[in-house]
Amino acid sequence: MAGIEVRDLSHRYPGAKELTLDGIDLQLADGEAHAILGGSGTGKTTLLNLLAGLLVPERGSIKFDGRDVTGLSGAQRNVAQVFQFPVLYPSLDVTGNLEFPLRNRGWSRQAARTRVLEVARLLDLEALLDRQPAGLSLFEKQLIAIGRALVRPDVAVVLLDEPLTAVEPATKWRLRRALKTVQTELGLTMVYVTHDQTEALTFADKITMLHEGRVLQTGTPLEFYERPAHQIVAHFIGSPGMNLIDAHVSAGALHVGDISVGPVSAAPGPCVLGFRPEWAEIGEVGIPVTVQSTRVTGTEEGVAVGLVAAHLGDQVVYTRQVLGGSLDHDARLRIDADRLIVFRDQHRFDHD
Amino acid sequence: MIKGVSNNRAWLAVVPVVLVVAFSAVVPLMTVVNYSVQDIFDVDTRLFVGLDWYRETLRDPRFIDALLRQVTFSATVLVIEVPLGIWIARALPRDSRATSAFLILLAIPLLIPWNVVGTIWQIFARPDIGLLGVSVAALGISFNYTGSSVDAWITLILMDIWHWTSLVALLAFAGLASIPSPCYQAAMLDGASTWQVFRYVELPRLKSVLTIAVLLRVMDSLMIYTEPFVLTGGGPGNSTTFLSQYLTSMAVGQFDLGPAAAFSVLYFLLIVLLCWLFYTSVMRSEADG
Repeated sequence: MAGIEVRDLSHRYPGAKELTLDGIDLQLADGEAHAILGGSGTGKTTLLNLLAGLLVPERGSIKFDGRDVTGLSGAQRNVAQVFQFPVLYPSLDVTGNLEFPLRNRGWSRQAARTRVLEVARLLDLEALLDRQPAGLSLFEKQLIAIGRALVRPDVAVVLLDEPLTAVEPATKWRLRRALKTVQTELGLTMVYVTHDQTEALTFADKITMLHEGRVLQTGTPLEFYERPAHQIVAHFIGSPGMNLIDAHVSAGALHVGDISVGPVSAAPGPCVLGFRPEWAEIGEVGIPVTVQSTRVTGTEEGVAVGLVAAHLGDQVVYTRQVLGGSLDHDARLRIDADRLIVFRDQHRFDHD
Repeated sequence: MIKGVSNNRAWLAVVPVVLVVAFSAVVPLMTVVNYSVQDIFDVDTRLFVGLDWYRETLRDPRFIDALLRQVTFSATVLVIEVPLGIWIARALPRDSRATSAFLILLAIPLLIPWNVVGTIWQIFARPDIGLLGVSVAALGISFNYTGSSVDAWITLILMDIWHWTSLVALLAFAGLASIPSPCYQAAMLDGASTWQVFRYVELPRLKSVLTIAVLLRVMDSLMIYTEPFVLTGGGPGNSTTFLSQYLTSMAVGQFDLGPAAAFSVLYFLLIVLLCWLFYTSVMRSEADG
């Protein structure tokens, strides 16, 4: 296992004008599960391939435990990778697949078998060891591919490129849980690329969100939820994402229209106010809104809770709240004054 | 609800197909089978002889020789063309501008009419004016495919390799091109050697295209006629007379319709048998593996 330090990493594909990755800085502690989150085309797979040594960066450095590995191949870096669909050796049985990386590195048959058994026990694969890959389900195949990535005890980092894409939704959580258990148990450093915020939030110790080849934010899942550094992060995380409405600061208070929402210590001028649906309520006090729809999503302590959509000017805002009785068409929006997040030029403005 | 309707007139719809298949396959084949059990003197005088012609053919030393030559030839070209074709396919650049140029170059031998292939090599290998023949002679090696049966065989095998390796190479290339790049990346990270990449990543995924390639080469090489006919005419002596050529000389040259028909049926069964054996053994190993 290794800690990873990425400095000013940039990559441009041959013939491309734009940089795919532009000055990425990244720091991973030893044994950390780190998710790279982003939409398609944000450069997350490129970043993974750079870490794997499949691509050579245009600029910047990659260090594993302080050792510069930028110029080394993936085999020399001692990394393992799991791909979007299960990559197996079709002519080898499951044991053969699992011991392949060990045998190639000069392990004896006996030692390799012992290690394969350990990994198989961890992933609940023992029953499959004598089977041929051809007869297995996609879920089992991907589990074996994961096993092969974990089989080397000295592997520096395990890279996962959207490993749950091909797996049917019903078994996704099983695979994710197996992965998380093994990661914790073996203390593996893992980099997990995904476009799915749920996967990132549930799997990772830390998340890095990419956008257009740059890092928008690195932090814990809680930080991503509570203190998004950028409007894109705010909107991307959560379903629905954070409400972002036009506001302005004057006389030390944040105003939406001419109604004061709460005090802020920011220079006067226009800004964007962000608040999560959970941090607001539509009722009888606050900013006038027009209720569009309510949808019950569950119950809390016997009371129905749900999502309310309302118009504020020409913007739609969502709140997640207790649905006691019916809401008037013309209602008022109250936002939790302690949790206001102010964005200026897309970035979070720290007012406290 | 619609119940099953019994309508025998529906069979009429199948009649055209039955007729076409009958005229194209069944009738000619059965004609040959019919000939093979009769001794035919003229249109009105024929004699049923049972399996005599089959017995005679199987005892004919010229048939046995031609059969042995045929099997030796097919096995030789197969053993050379399949590995060579795979090797060429692996050596071809992928996703580059040169790729299509190489593919077109490879396809050229396959587009040349077979008798022209024979003619090309007949001239190419001539010791007096052919580039190959003259070059070999210049090295001080006496080479004459019209005089020496070894030289004739070498020329014939070289010609077949030149003509048909492309087919294996193109099929193998198509198979290789369909292997997703993560398979290679995973093998690289697993520390696989070049040989292991071939053995464990490529070969298993080439199995189906190689089955087709080998089947086509087995069938085609067993039926080879035109090229040796043009190049050597079956000689020197009978040293390059293969089954099809012996059959033709029997049927067309000597007009021995009965024995030629028996020969044809045996020839046909041989090809079907060999292809069936190969195919079932591949499918069986597929089921096991």
